[in-house]
Amino acid sequence: MSYTRRDFLKATLSATTMLSFTSLAPDLLVRAAGTDIARQDDRDTVLVIVQMSGGNDGLNTVVPYADDEYARNRPTLRLHPEDIHKINSYLGFHPRMEAFSRLYKEGHLCIVQGIGYPNSDRSHDIAMRHWHTAKPENPNCQTGWLGRAADSVWHTNQKDMPAIFVGPIVQPFGMRAEHVIIPSIQSPDDLTIDPAPGDSQQKQAVKSFREDKDNSLLNHLRDCTVNAHTNSQRIEVAAKATNKAEYPTFRLAETLRTVAQLIRADVGIRIFFTELGGGGIGGFDNHANQLGNHCALLGQLSESLAAFIHDLKKDKLLDRILVMTISEFGRTVKENGRRGTGHGVAAPIFIAGGKLKGGLVGSHPSLTDLDNGAMKFHTDFRRVYSTVLDKWLGFESQAILDRQFQSLDILNV
Amino acid sequence: MAVHFEKLRDPGWAWAAYEPDVERPWNLARAGHLYRRAAFGAGWQQLQQALSDGPQRTIDKLLRPQSEAAQFNRTYDEYETATGSMDQLRAWWLRRMIQTPHPLLEKMTLFWHSHFATNAAEVKNARLMQQHVRLLRSQALGSFRTLLEGISQDPAVLLWLGAEANRKARPNENLARAIIENFTLGPDRCTEDDIRDTARAFTGWFILRSNLRYIPREHDENEKQILGRKGNFTRDDVLRIILEQPATSRRIVRKLYRWLISETDQPDETLISPLAESFADDYNVRNLVEKMLRSNLFFSPAAYRRRIKCPAEFAIGIVKAMEGSISTTQLANDLADLGQNLYNPPTIKGWAGGKHWINSTAMVARQNLASALLRGSDQYGNKLNPWTVAQRHRYDTPESARQFLLDLFLQSDLDSDVHNVLLKTHRRQNEDLGVLIRSFAYAIITLPEFQLA
Repeated sequence: MSYTRRDFLKATLSATTMLSFTSLAPDLLVRAAGTDIARQDDRDTVLVIVQMSGGNDGLNTVVPYADDEYARNRPTLRLHPEDIHKINSYLGFHPRMEAFSRLYKEGHLCIVQGIGYPNSDRSHDIAMRHWHTAKPENPNCQTGWLGRAADSVWHTNQKDMPAIFVGPIVQPFGMRAEHVIIPSIQSPDDLTIDPAPGDSQQKQAVKSFREDKDNSLLNHLRDCTVNAHTNSQRIEVAAKATNKAEYPTFRLAETLRTVAQLIRADVGIRIFFTELGGGGIGGFDNHANQLGNHCALLGQLSESLAAFIHDLKKDKLLDRILVMTISEFGRTVKENGRRGTGHGVAAPIFIAGGKLKGGLVGSHPSLTDLDNGAMKFHTDFRRVYSTVLDKWLGFESQAILDRQFQSLDILNV
Repeated sequence: MAVHFEKLRDPGWAWAAYEPDVERPWNLARAGHLYRRAAFGAGWQQLQQALSDGPQRTIDKLLRPQSEAAQFNRTYDEYETATGSMDQLRAWWLRRMIQTPHPLLEKMTLFWHSHFATNAAEVKNARLMQQHVRLLRSQALGSFRTLLEGISQDPAVLLWLGAEANRKARPNENLARAIIENFTLGPDRCTEDDIRDTARAFTGWFILRSNLRYIPREHDENEKQILGRKGNFTRDDVLRIILEQPATSRRIVRKLYRWLISETDQPDETLISPLAESFADDYNVRNLVEKMLRSNLFFSPAAYRRRIKCPAEFAIGIVKAMEGSISTTQLANDLADLGQNLYNPPTIKGWAGGKHWINSTAMVARQNLASALLRGSDQYGNKLNPWTVAQRHRYDTPESARQFLLDLFLQSDLDSDVHNVLLKTHRRQNEDLGVLIRSFAYAIITLPEFQLA
């Protein structure tokens, strides 16, 4: 990786802010800086997940516009070839996904097709739970795959939390961990220390902290208190660059702006979880009158994500970033008579970032060889998970997913 | 505090009752320590009373419910029954922790809540969760045997573990595994065959429409082999066999050691054995807790500030010291953000605790909660006012009030550099005294020392 954490720090933080850091708690800060350098081994990479709640209609997202079966099965929902942003002579993006089409051409987006899992359950709760536990065969699994990922890299003297949920809904089950406490935030303010009467005294006190040779708990508390102050300052500093960037006014865009700010602040978060569709059953679940609603959501997804990618690219941070979309299932090929679709099986996953091979991965599932009205999957979603865990984050997927899934060749690392 | 590490290894001395002497006087620091562990912190009046009562009498009061405690809990049970939602149950429990005349009972209920960790979001039934915590409270200082029997037939527990249908043809191993590996013996103490046969012994028990039912024809009547014993065992037989295993009492004693004494050391088996052996005789929790609280070890440096406060202890400690009452609905949400969502322990293993409570993000959140509690406005209102409390106890100059708050929150036991920095700050001209004292209190409760129990 050419762009290192220290280059990044130099780029983001002016000399004066660096000075103000060192004026805070000199002893402990020196130690903190020491661990930063030691952290070079973790590869500094960041994973951002966007959950599309409700079951995204992959067929109207990445559209096989040239397939007669598509037009035949979707008398009212079909999107017309002239409106499609074409990928090739068979496939193209939904008309509202022009931003994704551009990302795709720039090599910052790849489409992994035909994703699903065996014996898929077509109820929202259970299917989403499977995507979160990554253990569909174990219905009583009590932890999420990202929670286990965070636990797997956690050691008890660690100061920075490796994962976070950003959004206004209840923290998704995927982040349920046995040991670590994964925070949920709605805005960067939730990670900064509120100005309070007495905070000047408190900052003064923090400066006089010493290492306690006798009590490891007290030591850990002091380290984390000092770090709370430095992280809080970094996040405030990073707001300036982030607020200048242009994002659309969608909620997902604001969430991703927060993620960008936290990435700039470099506070040790490797995994961000975000959500589109509103949790619960979710906005992507369109059993009736799907067209307009789905179009709006896809517009939000592609424009918000494109703004995020371009924001980070401008600051040469994109090489550290990988974004992945998930959704509990695809939808039925045939529309249902109420201008909507039913719960299906296979759907595509989008991967975006700066270190991608790009393009289409895997074949588009057949529109005629169906499983109870839905396209069949050919690639288990855990192959995507294992790829991002092993090849991108540098974690050990086998320990997290309980077995080794074959990686996909999508990364340029 | 004088160090007696060599004596601490001697179980005879370690578990003998602490008697104050010249080297180990009964003082504010030890009274504060006792109230942090056996309660959720203390107000000034309680600390002063403890000083004049001495350790034994103070512990007596903490252990034995005063006459009004039973009535208090009945009243709160009724409040809880009248609510229908999990949010309200969380709020009522926190209010109970703050108001109870018997805080040790709530402290131990919280201990068992993490031990028999059952998650309301999965049970999806507030009434069953209320029953569940009521069961924990009923035996929190009672009989571990009775508690385990209750848990093994508690609808909330069975639903949470997906064990609502224990059919002869398909014995459900989740409950068996939870009882053996999580609730009693601990991991790696039995074989998969033991788990399977325990599950067979549990067949016949169902949860139907939220009620426990026994369906005799679904019980497996064949012989089972469990932990080296053979017979046509039922659920009750299995629990008896498990409770006969020395590993069960040892594990509970170790877990309680971590809750009441220290999170930092792994005690030697020689230290654990005497307590585990007497606990196994009758599984009387109160006697075990009493032994620990009265001990030399408990009042030694090996225990002092050797635990990290869980979020509830942190917040309620502030509320108790400030002699106020706050919105516990709001507090329940804030504690969830700190990682302790009451009624929702993350997994069957409960909250990991210790250093896991603390990271940079959690420290930001604790500071912001401290600020919100003391701000005197916004979500918590003006319920907690350190200057009013200081004046109430006749510390009515800025200097005496600051000394009072240091004594109240930290028994003035803190690093001398930090102490000097805090006392050095001067009152700015025309600064409101109330604001000055609030600021000072905020600076104290955001110190690392205050996060230690």
